Amino acid sequence: MLPAPLALIAEVTHRCPLHCVYCSNPLEMAAAQSELTTQDWCNVFQQASKLGILHLHLSGGEPLVREDLLELVDAAHKAGLYTNLITSGVGLTESRLNSLLKAGLDHVQLSFQDSLEANANWLAGTRAHALKVKIAPVIQQSGVAFTINIVVHRQNLDHLEELIALAESFQPQRLEIAHAQYYGWAFKNREALLPTQKQVADSLRIVAEAQKRLAGRIRIDAVVPDYYARYPKACMGGWGQRQVLVDPSGRALPCHAAGVIPGLQFENVRDQSLEWIWRESDSFQKFRGEQWMPEPCRSCDRRSQDFGGCRCQAFLITGDAVSTDPACSLAPGHSYIEEQLKRINSPTNSASSDTPQPGTAPEGFWIYRPQPR
Amino acid sequence: MPHLEESSQPRLAAGCRWAGEGENRALLFPEGALRLQDTGRAILERCDGRRTFQQIVEELQTQYGVSDPAKIRDDVSAFLERLQQKRVVDF
Repeated sequence: MLPAPLALIAEVTHRCPLHCVYCSNPLEMAAAQSELTTQDWCNVFQQASKLGILHLHLSGGEPLVREDLLELVDAAHKAGLYTNLITSGVGLTESRLNSLLKAGLDHVQLSFQDSLEANANWLAGTRAHALKVKIAPVIQQSGVAFTINIVVHRQNLDHLEELIALAESFQPQRLEIAHAQYYGWAFKNREALLPTQKQVADSLRIVAEAQKRLAGRIRIDAVVPDYYARYPKACMGGWGQRQVLVDPSGRALPCHAAGVIPGLQFENVRDQSLEWIWRESDSFQKFRGEQWMPEPCRSCDRRSQDFGGCRCQAFLITGDAVSTDPACSLAPGHSYIEEQLKRINSPTNSASSDTPQPGTAPEGFWIYRPQPR
Repeated sequence: MPHLEESSQPRLAAGCRWAGEGENRALLFPEGALRLQDTGRAILERCDGRRTFQQIVEELQTQYGVSDPAKIRDDVSAFLERLQQKRVVDF
């Protein structure tokens, strides 16, 4: 029997005060007027709990933009969900945090873009760094479970040790160091984000050292860069296997990026129950299991470990969502990844040898995400 | 790395809590959950910040009536130290 999903990712809004150049939101963001109401979300949370879901990740955009966030946390907690707030910290105050904790918020995950303020603001497209530095100790002192999240890429990997030191100074229980994943806005900005081979090798060493040094104090979870891996990532633990994402307008998706795949009809929680969507809908069944797999996946020993990799990445790169994820060294489309890495690592590539500084970067260096309508 | 002493009083770390009943009883924590049966559950349910490590071991030795008390002590110690590194338990 199909197991219940473990987690619900609720993208409660795509509105955000930040414009991070690697944002995982889709290029076509949900408009503010299309967002689910408070009641809609409360209903989804109750359904999620009944379905057997344990964790709720309140994500966005920036969830704090929703004026009803306190009601959402309250409803999620009462439904029995373990509630995690994924935030930039912008819009958080001590009193708002305390209200959220009273309502039952279990965990706060705060992002940082860089250790250097000017660089961090450049990556976020707004002056958010100082606000984060101010709110981090407030979160730590509140006693809530606290994770710091850092997305790493070519423009901040040279400061990884300083980034870890910054995170360490705020004493979270957990630190997530995630190499950027190339979908959404990160795919648009990939040319400037893809790290060099040397940066990747250094980052693995630095993270391993930090894990050893901080053992028992800060748990470090690392997400490796799949362009440099031999085998693809087990994206989302398999399509329709572990997680459900509901976007601001109520569309239920197997992952953040699934909306890019043409020909898939995503059901809306306004029209269908979460349970039906999970068990029965075409979109969740499309790549579930192994029936859909082409070669070399179909006969590969690793198919039950990585599920053929990521469907969205397969589509973005090969134009065919059914193909093997090109990140896999065995994939027919892998030469594309090799070409990207060859170019990025070429000594004549100005992008890798000459990192522009904020202020000196040419106009249009980044494609910043705008606000949704 | 903190060291587990006889007098340590293990407790669930911030953000770790129990949910569900019976077979579905699980320990929830940031980004994860443990569905524990038998001894694992018996150990963690005693990590209340009041009982000492020594008391927990004695209670389990009584409950499970094992012939080798040193082994149960080592097993509990290894289990708690592993969960401390995952930041699920503090002591």
